[in-house]
Amino acid sequence: MIPASFEYFSPRTVPEAVNLLVRYGQEAKLLAGGHSLVPLMKLRLAAPRYVVDLNRIDGLSYIREADGFLRLGALTRHAEIETSELMRGRYPLLADAARVISDPLVRNMGTIGGSLAHADPAGDWGAAMLAAGAEIVATGPGGTRTIPVEEFFEGTFVTALRPDEILTEIRLPQAGRGQGGAYLKLERKVGDFAIAAVGVALALDGDGACRRVGIGLCNVGSTSLRAEKAARLLTGQKPDDATVARAAAAAAAECDPASDLRGPAEYKRDVVRVLTARAVRLAAQRARGGA
Amino acid sequence: MKVEGSYTFAAPRERIWALLNDPDVLARVTPGVKTLTPQGADAYKAKIELAVGPVKGAYDGTVRITDKTPPERMTLRVEGGGKPGTIRATGELRLEEQDGRTVVNYTGDAQITGLIAGIGHRLIGGVAKQMAGEFFKAVEKELRPR
Amino acid sequence: MGTRISVTVNGTVREADVEPRLLLVHFIREILGMTGTHIGCDTTNCGACTVLLDGRAVKSCTIFAVQADGRAVMTVEGLARDGQLHPLQEAFHQQHGLQCGFCTPGMMMAAYAFLQRTPNPTEEQIRWGISGNLCRCTGYVNIVAAIKDAAEKLRASPARAGGRG
Repeated sequence: MIPASFEYFSPRTVPEAVNLLVRYGQEAKLLAGGHSLVPLMKLRLAAPRYVVDLNRIDGLSYIREADGFLRLGALTRHAEIETSELMRGRYPLLADAARVISDPLVRNMGTIGGSLAHADPAGDWGAAMLAAGAEIVATGPGGTRTIPVEEFFEGTFVTALRPDEILTEIRLPQAGRGQGGAYLKLERKVGDFAIAAVGVALALDGDGACRRVGIGLCNVGSTSLRAEKAARLLTGQKPDDATVARAAAAAAAECDPASDLRGPAEYKRDVVRVLTARAVRLAAQRARGGA
Repeated sequence: MKVEGSYTFAAPRERIWALLNDPDVLARVTPGVKTLTPQGADAYKAKIELAVGPVKGAYDGTVRITDKTPPERMTLRVEGGGKPGTIRATGELRLEEQDGRTVVNYTGDAQITGLIAGIGHRLIGGVAKQMAGEFFKAVEKELRPR
Repeated sequence: MGTRISVTVNGTVREADVEPRLLLVHFIREILGMTGTHIGCDTTNCGACTVLLDGRAVKSCTIFAVQADGRAVMTVEGLARDGQLHPLQEAFHQQHGLQCGFCTPGMMMAAYAFLQRTPNPTEEQIRWGISGNLCRCTGYVNIVAAIKDAAEKLRASPARAGGRG
């Protein structure tokens, strides 16, 4: 219940925070929303000697469209994305995902940057951003660099971020016409991790055929996963029942769920199959201007 | 909890067998091993510090190699405990030679109790696979000349 | 290893020297002696510890007190004003929205924040709004009725809305 002792820093700027990481390296942990880190610290499964609180740094929380991108500041709370009119109107995949993360109290503190950097395979943002084809912007002592989200998740709780880097922004291509997305999650109860969840982003061309399809899978592998074969099956095709069924079956085959208290692996695979089909249909409907 | 898989090395079976039975090599390639102290034949005391992202734990344990049929079969028995929990695991390694390469097939069974079993249950399978992967990649590094 | 913090709790500035690892819920309960905020789990699940931090409903067991330095916290003790119960407290009483009462402070604080954003909620919206708070006694039926009742009272008398936070 009580974390181990640590030294606490509350920098006011990103460079200050980066310098702390440079100085303390792997002994330091960043604190954003804290709703993945602090529970681990309370059980003493994590006991960092230094905690660097990012919450006093201005300018890391924003949702804006600029220069052809949607840009999300790393410290934007899940609740802010959930209630944003811009998200609901133009980025339904992200609004859907924000809505089903944990519960409303956690969403008031948890941040999108913290969630992605924590890289829990059960994290909803991982699957959603893989579907959206996002880019991660990381800031370190040498400046900033951009990491495509497909290269970001390296293992359970392991990302491409170096120990002296801070995830500062997430960006994806600005929404255009004919685009749609959806995120569907099956959970035993509100606040639980997903039995399985699927995020889909797609665009429909003038003939109604899919282009730029992205499908992300949550909690069915040791990291967030992309269903690449499923996405390829849909690309260039109209999302009719047969095509959607083929893609859904492919997504189920591409994942690697573990049997646990949330269900046997075969069950989870089938949940992926069903949710992929539903999410593709919903995304296509939204791309046509419906839902 | 069961873990299984296989890994292929570009080296003959005798070479891989020798590496897997060398305590200095095992100390280098096993994830998180801080010390590996021989306790008689094919038995070791180990101090391990494992980190999975922010979750770090220190464990004291014993490793025994049993049921050896050189150069094709061996069983590793690991028992250990620390604040995050305890583990008892058995892993059977089977080495097959194919055209000068060695295919190592492993099947393992682990019983885990304590905090990591309760809280981390959903992650253990994936993490075990990850660590098996790290182990074999590290063995592969041992093949390269220094 | 003391860090001086200054937190406005229910409208009053409170100061203390605390260790960085002191949880906000422990600061409230043990340093300030305000035991209306409860601890119901060890895993950030139950919501019994819900307070408002700068107006947002949060789980105080998962926040360090140092994070609240310079900020405003509202607890269940801040609902009543001048000896008069807040409409939420009245409604929970009148609608029998509690049995053992352990989850109730957290429920009311979550509802307080929820009703500020959604002053005329449907039953489904209420259930969604309190989905971070667990109750082992009531089955939630009377909790939902209490919040609906409180919403009506607040719409009828907006002046009763604020607490001391």
